[in-house]
Amino acid sequence: MPGRPTPHRPGSNSRTGADSRPGPDSRPGPRSRTARRPGRLRTTALATALVSVLVPVLGACGGGAGASAGGATLRWASSYFPAHWDPVVSGSGAQFRELALVYASLTRTDEKGDAVPDLAESWEYNDKGDEVTFHLRPGLKFSDGEPVDAAAVKAAVERAKKQKNSALFGDLTSIGSVDADGLDAVVHLTQVDYQIPQLLGQRVLQIASPKAAANPRKLDQKPVGAGPFVVEQLIPGTKVLLKKNPDYWDAKNIHIDDVELVSAPDASTVVSGLRTGVYNFADLDPSQADAAEKAGLDVFVQPGFNASNLSLNVNKPPFDDDRVVDAVRHAVNREEFVDKLTFGHGEATDQPFPTGYVAYDPQSRDPYPYDPAKSRKLLAEAGHKAGDITLDLVIPAEDPQAEIVQSQLAAVGITVRIKIDKNWATPFFAKDLTFSLYGTTGRDSAVQTLTAHFGPNGPLNLSTPYEPAGFDAAVAKVRRTPLDSPDYVRNLRAATRAGLKSKALVFTYSSPNLFAKSKAVSDLPKNPAHIDWTGVTIAGGS
Amino acid sequence: MVRRVLALTSGRIAAAVLTVIALLALFGPWLAPLDPLATGDNTLAAASGTHWLGTDYLGRDVLSRLLDGSRVSVLGSLEVALTALVAGALPGILSVHWGRVFEWTTLRLADTLVALPFLLFAVAVVALLGNGLTQAMLVTGVLVSPLFYRVARAATLAVARSQYVEAAVVSGASTGWIVRRHVWGKILPPIAVALAQTIGVGFVIVSSLTFLGIGVQPPAPTWGGLLASDLGYLSHRPWAPVAPALLITATVWASNLLADAIRDVSGEAGRVLLDDRGARDGRPDRTDPAPAPAPAGGAR
Repeated sequence: MPGRPTPHRPGSNSRTGADSRPGPDSRPGPRSRTARRPGRLRTTALATALVSVLVPVLGACGGGAGASAGGATLRWASSYFPAHWDPVVSGSGAQFRELALVYASLTRTDEKGDAVPDLAESWEYNDKGDEVTFHLRPGLKFSDGEPVDAAAVKAAVERAKKQKNSALFGDLTSIGSVDADGLDAVVHLTQVDYQIPQLLGQRVLQIASPKAAANPRKLDQKPVGAGPFVVEQLIPGTKVLLKKNPDYWDAKNIHIDDVELVSAPDASTVVSGLRTGVYNFADLDPSQADAAEKAGLDVFVQPGFNASNLSLNVNKPPFDDDRVVDAVRHAVNREEFVDKLTFGHGEATDQPFPTGYVAYDPQSRDPYPYDPAKSRKLLAEAGHKAGDITLDLVIPAEDPQAEIVQSQLAAVGITVRIKIDKNWATPFFAKDLTFSLYGTTGRDSAVQTLTAHFGPNGPLNLSTPYEPAGFDAAVAKVRRTPLDSPDYVRNLRAATRAGLKSKALVFTYSSPNLFAKSKAVSDLPKNPAHIDWTGVTIAGGS
Repeated sequence: MVRRVLALTSGRIAAAVLTVIALLALFGPWLAPLDPLATGDNTLAAASGTHWLGTDYLGRDVLSRLLDGSRVSVLGSLEVALTALVAGALPGILSVHWGRVFEWTTLRLADTLVALPFLLFAVAVVALLGNGLTQAMLVTGVLVSPLFYRVARAATLAVARSQYVEAAVVSGASTGWIVRRHVWGKILPPIAVALAQTIGVGFVIVSSLTFLGIGVQPPAPTWGGLLASDLGYLSHRPWAPVAPALLITATVWASNLLADAIRDVSGEAGRVLLDDRGARDGRPDRTDPAPAPAPAGGAR
């Protein structure tokens, strides 16, 4: 950071000025200093040697406040350090992984992405499919001593639906009410929906202690859950220290004693931090993968559902003309995103998830192939000459994606001005923007992913209330289909197909969930899009 | 003053470096051998005959981007310095002549501005007014202005107490006439020092803000922005930050050198110093058996 310029007083010695140079009348001064130089040099050398020895020693002795003596400590540098620790405010974005250190949920997902028991040991639907009862494990407590029971589940759902600053209410439209009966939480649905066990997992219903949640602002600073770890110290936006929760229902399979979660300062510094032991686990920008591998770190891709897209507002010109939308679709070269942004670790996708995901519809593959000539022709048909259309691409932060979009659209005659708006979220979610970018890390429920993108009020649908024809019916059909039904995959893909008729989204590529860890940290369960610490060990303690 | 500055070696070096930088700012965009915004498939390439400084993460020519970005980088720092000059020097002079209320108000305002951190304030204003270099630099200029305020005020105070100014006041001269006739010439040297110094500081601020992605919208190149993006790909092009860092360092160094040179030649002390140097330059070699002449500046 630059320093402030300081006026020089006449006659004062300046650091760089000619005044500091010995003048013709300055001999006595330097001479007397020269006479003492050997002694001062010795003192300086001794002091330097002392400091060089003491600093590392004292540094090692100090350690972090949360570092255990000899225990296994996870030092995690995260690019998604949560801005909020109240799960209702934090929402269902990528930071749920960090909040999952503190909070448990009714269900979790396994390596196939299926819902499996977490706080609920089992659940069952009624015959009609519009009511599901979750049976909680007995004897569980939140870290403040409050019981984990159906009343806590009911309170969590109601808070997520009603709290003024809830980022989750849009995800819970299928849930009408919850009845609490001891350890049984009976969830009454507004429609038949077999997605609920997947929905009420870590992304959407991390359950906080109702007593602590009575003051949501305090909960945001001092989270209280029933997850594998308990918060000891939280420095907002910077660092959180956690220790193992001995009362966690699966504590026997948690082999990490302490966690130091820090906000990763900069992508380019993460590898150095890992190499020097400041961290032993971090998410990694693809540009750093080579350096991490060369440093001898374990670089791995956790399976996930990431997808990036261009968001168009079809309620505003020029996207109210289908030919302009189609021109943009044909102007997008997905491979360029993959090559330049993922360094070979990602893949192109034209759907809101990567290929291979259960909801990916092979029939809808690449309906608008990269064809700049066709794009220019469509624009001409719409009456636009090259340079006629100028778009403001509004994004929250500098992003090479935007520059690629700008360059690709320039090639077909559309001028794009990139506008960075630190307050981007407000106009984006208010659907005020015409053109923007978004990247999702997906949802555990495939239907939730589809409705978030294509639903009339989907948060990622910039064109609200626009909805592609037939999408609502197709989604309702999937909701009515049990997940173990042979028709499930077919119905799900039909809903994807209906959603992809949307003119509001152009999907581009799927970035990898790239991580690097020291070899001392054992492999993680391959739960898609999750970071699950169950069974993970850290060799050699801290 | 220009002649006296150029009489110093440091002044000549500073002037030469700053002239090169000014030429880059003027003609850089036209000198760029390739389109600085044109992406290509050859990303993060090493230096070659086609790309003298290699290519960036989107395959753009780095040399072209450096040349193209010089104008924004230099103009931004000039904007800081000139804003600070106008917002600081005028109130500084007038605070001596316009009565106690104006003096008290401007002094407190200057104290307040000194307490505000540059970057944080610039970030806050950009969040409020939108992300643009002009607003960021204007705000930064205002924050730097207390330097000019204090320099101008101190110099004006010294002049205002002199007998000839008192005589002018007694004879009914207006404030404007006194400032033009007696004050302006006296405060120019320290203002020039502060201006040269502020250009250097402004350059660091512009570079820091653009490093943080504030002020200039992508893909427009700036030296600070190039430095920031290069740091993200150190493992691929470890030498890449050297070029923008050198340009920033050289410009700031030359500005500071120029400030020192102006200060050295300003006022009586400066003239004495120059005279002294001139005398020493004209002095015969030490091996010359002839006795050295007395210094022209006399004993001090």
